[in-house]
Amino acid sequence: MSPRSLRSVFLQRAWLPLGLLALLLYLVAVPLALLLVSSFKPTGLPFDEGFSLQNFAIVYGDAGFYALLRNTLTFALGCTVCALVVGGVLAWLVERTDLPFRATARVMIALPMVLPPFLLAMGWVLLASPRTGWFNQLAQDAFGLAQAPLNIYTMGGMIFVETLALVPSVYLILSNAFRNMDPALEEAGMTCGARWPAMVRRIFIPLLSPALLAAAAYLLIVGFLVFDVPGTLGMPVGLFVVSSRIVYLATDQSGGTSAYGLIAAIAVTFLVLLLALAWSYRRLTRQANRFVTVTGKGFRPRQLRLGAMKPVAVALVLLYFVLAVLAPLGLLIWTSLTPYLASISWDMAGKLTLAQHAAVFSNPRVGAAAWTSMWVSMLSATLVTLLALLVAWTVLRTRALGQSGRNLLDVLSFMPLAIPGTMIGMALIYMYLTLSFVPIYGTAWILVIAYVTVYLSFSTRTASASLIQLHPELDEAARTCGATPAMTVRRIVLPLLMPALAGAWIWVVAHVMRELSTALLLQGDDNVTLAVQLWSYWAGGEPSKAAAVGVWLVVVMTVITIIWQRLSARRDVVFSG
Amino acid sequence: MVELRDLWLTYPGAAQPSVRGVSLRVEPGEFVTLLGPSGCGKTSTLRSIAGLETPSAGAISIGSADAFNATRGVDVPTHQRDISMVFQSYAVWPHMTVAKNVAFPLEVAKRPMDEVRTRVAEVLQMVGLTGLADRSATQLSGGQQQRVAIARALVRRSAVMLLDEPLSNLDAKLREQMRLELRQLLKTVGLTAVYVTHDQEEALMLSDRIALMSAGKFVEVGTPLDLYLKPRTLFGATFLGAAEVFEVVRTQGTSIETKIGHLHVETATTNFSHVGIRPEAIRVRQQKSPHPSANQLQGTLVSAVFSGRQQQLIVQLDAGRQIHVLAEATTIFRAGESITVEFPVERLMGLTEEASPD
Repeated sequence: MSPRSLRSVFLQRAWLPLGLLALLLYLVAVPLALLLVSSFKPTGLPFDEGFSLQNFAIVYGDAGFYALLRNTLTFALGCTVCALVVGGVLAWLVERTDLPFRATARVMIALPMVLPPFLLAMGWVLLASPRTGWFNQLAQDAFGLAQAPLNIYTMGGMIFVETLALVPSVYLILSNAFRNMDPALEEAGMTCGARWPAMVRRIFIPLLSPALLAAAAYLLIVGFLVFDVPGTLGMPVGLFVVSSRIVYLATDQSGGTSAYGLIAAIAVTFLVLLLALAWSYRRLTRQANRFVTVTGKGFRPRQLRLGAMKPVAVALVLLYFVLAVLAPLGLLIWTSLTPYLASISWDMAGKLTLAQHAAVFSNPRVGAAAWTSMWVSMLSATLVTLLALLVAWTVLRTRALGQSGRNLLDVLSFMPLAIPGTMIGMALIYMYLTLSFVPIYGTAWILVIAYVTVYLSFSTRTASASLIQLHPELDEAARTCGATPAMTVRRIVLPLLMPALAGAWIWVVAHVMRELSTALLLQGDDNVTLAVQLWSYWAGGEPSKAAAVGVWLVVVMTVITIIWQRLSARRDVVFSG
Repeated sequence: MVELRDLWLTYPGAAQPSVRGVSLRVEPGEFVTLLGPSGCGKTSTLRSIAGLETPSAGAISIGSADAFNATRGVDVPTHQRDISMVFQSYAVWPHMTVAKNVAFPLEVAKRPMDEVRTRVAEVLQMVGLTGLADRSATQLSGGQQQRVAIARALVRRSAVMLLDEPLSNLDAKLREQMRLELRQLLKTVGLTAVYVTHDQEEALMLSDRIALMSAGKFVEVGTPLDLYLKPRTLFGATFLGAAEVFEVVRTQGTSIETKIGHLHVETATTNFSHVGIRPEAIRVRQQKSPHPSANQLQGTLVSAVFSGRQQQLIVQLDAGRQIHVLAEATTIFRAGESITVEFPVERLMGLTEEASPD
């Protein structure tokens, strides 16, 4: 036993948390600060001379800005409401009624997760674009219509497709809430003489409201920051929401860099809105945790008998599966096999060919993009998982940095939830265009930095959630057994957290693989990802090649998702043991 | 040997200190229990010995060396202290087998393989888990998990074993059985241990000495017998076992005037605030005594509840108080009859409001 001075122990224990705080400030706060500064610069670059409100004047003086604001709000609110209703009904059917084939239904509702939203949108273009959409042609042939009945390139179309994409997330949040409702609470209501309408109003809604509100706030944030669907369906016809507007302004070559000031001004305006939303989401989820209705595992939720409505309920689940997976994916596969863009018909069936697949596979650019996607996604996932573990550990298990320092760490790691990938992308452009001594602009490394920032929030919440489940005495026991802190982490903490961390890792890999907007903004010659390559095929008028790449992307996503499912199942076993 | 010298602990952000200047010396082979209600600072004191909390002032020595000394700036990290610890939640690692759990302290200390094997087998036999060495820790019952935790602490042969309410998560019957086993075990091993509990019966049965804690301080320290028969404080008398206590109005030598009348005690003192007696020490007679002698009081029986080994009486004293008395099971009592109670002078306990241990 060698006595060590308090001071040296303090120093030894303090450098890591301080470094962590500095890193998070660098990743999250610095880019946002540069974005803010840029919005006040006439040139739109943060370290240039001058200060003016000119950018804001132009942006706020333009009637187009208010249309943009209105469109973004309509889109975000529209898909929030629709996804809540559809996801809520599906969750209720599966969890609280005697719906047959429950297990199959669960898979059908979760499956759309393997389909990246931009592919879903492309699938729907093939199904319901006014000129070539298959549904439109079927309808026109069947009813002899002169005009196409469906047009996916509208606000309604965007909300519809985004809703399909969001339903699985809503389902996951709400089915948990439904499942965890103790039937004793309902029985208590019934023994008090409450009838069904009163039960719904007085017991269900109040009990579920924290989960419903948290889900709504989450959806609203997502609705504000997604690019995939509005970028695929709205951008080509000039129907913009904020994220697609930013990508449009930034990638439109005719404007040069002059648009950067305007982009910054728009971004800053929306960022204020988003951070306010994120703050209320945080408060709501804390409240939701306080409303714990779980009293142990010894109960089965009361199930409503559907009776004659059973076929309708089954049809509803099937309809969702067809619209969200089967039809769009089917059309994508079909399109990837056609030599030129053509709808489904018997005539074409004879001409199907693997030529597009062969062309895509032999293109070295696609190979390079696949390689970039793979290593960028794996490296980002590894880095962000490690970072998340360190943040969660420091916040939950140490007294480092003081209470306010740990709170700051917590907030910094949470903030990226509310920052659109497009804004992180823009901020990084400002940052590394000006910090030219860090020559990563246009390389894949800038993507790694962007993704570590974007997925920090998710990873930290996963790491925190599993660390909370790990009783502190488990690691204290190791220390009283003579294990050093490093040994404790290696032998006890890491093995116990591994299933959860691996789950988070693979989730990040999957999301980086399918991420489009940040990769589009930051693309250079050497960092084209598979999603960007697919997008450029699509935008360049080669939908068959885009579809071929998309089909293989879905295959990869499916494999990753299956691994993820397995890992989550194992995690449940570990923690219930 | 463990020694605490004027130890203080204030948690960051807390308004009040949790531990307020406790001092204690645990001799080799001695089993000392920190007993007190929840929140009295007993666990904080134990965790300070383990180095899991950092005290704000004072000193801790384990063996012959300082483990913590605020004035000299010494703070030996937990893993370098010569201790072992058993936790309330058992803290048995779910990803290891029983044998791996128990072998961990030896592996960490880099002991040779065959020594690890023999020592693990030895302690597993001691706690009666020999057949379960290769079980996964998650397949064990609560009682078995607690045995693993104890084996893991024993195997290290540390200078002191720290136990933080190790039996409180077990159900009542198992707790009783483990209590006896634990006592057997530590008598055979001759363990030096500091044990934390809020269960007075556990403390009385297991300890060589009990340190009674309240509000961050040691109120009384002594052997179980001393603390039970001759407590010096009101808190000691009422927390450790049941006691009837009477407020003192005035003292005059060994004669003390209380709220229920005059009582005689063995030694004269002036600073008693209360006089107390254990319910089982009170004697009862089923009649009024015409000439009550010293320490006899008249009353009426309110109720008698038979509970097997004994009867619990409630007696309404004529002087105005109701008291509880434990009487023999064989006497037949009728509610409403006249009763004379007698407080034997050698069982009367003179109590102070608060006392500092010597």
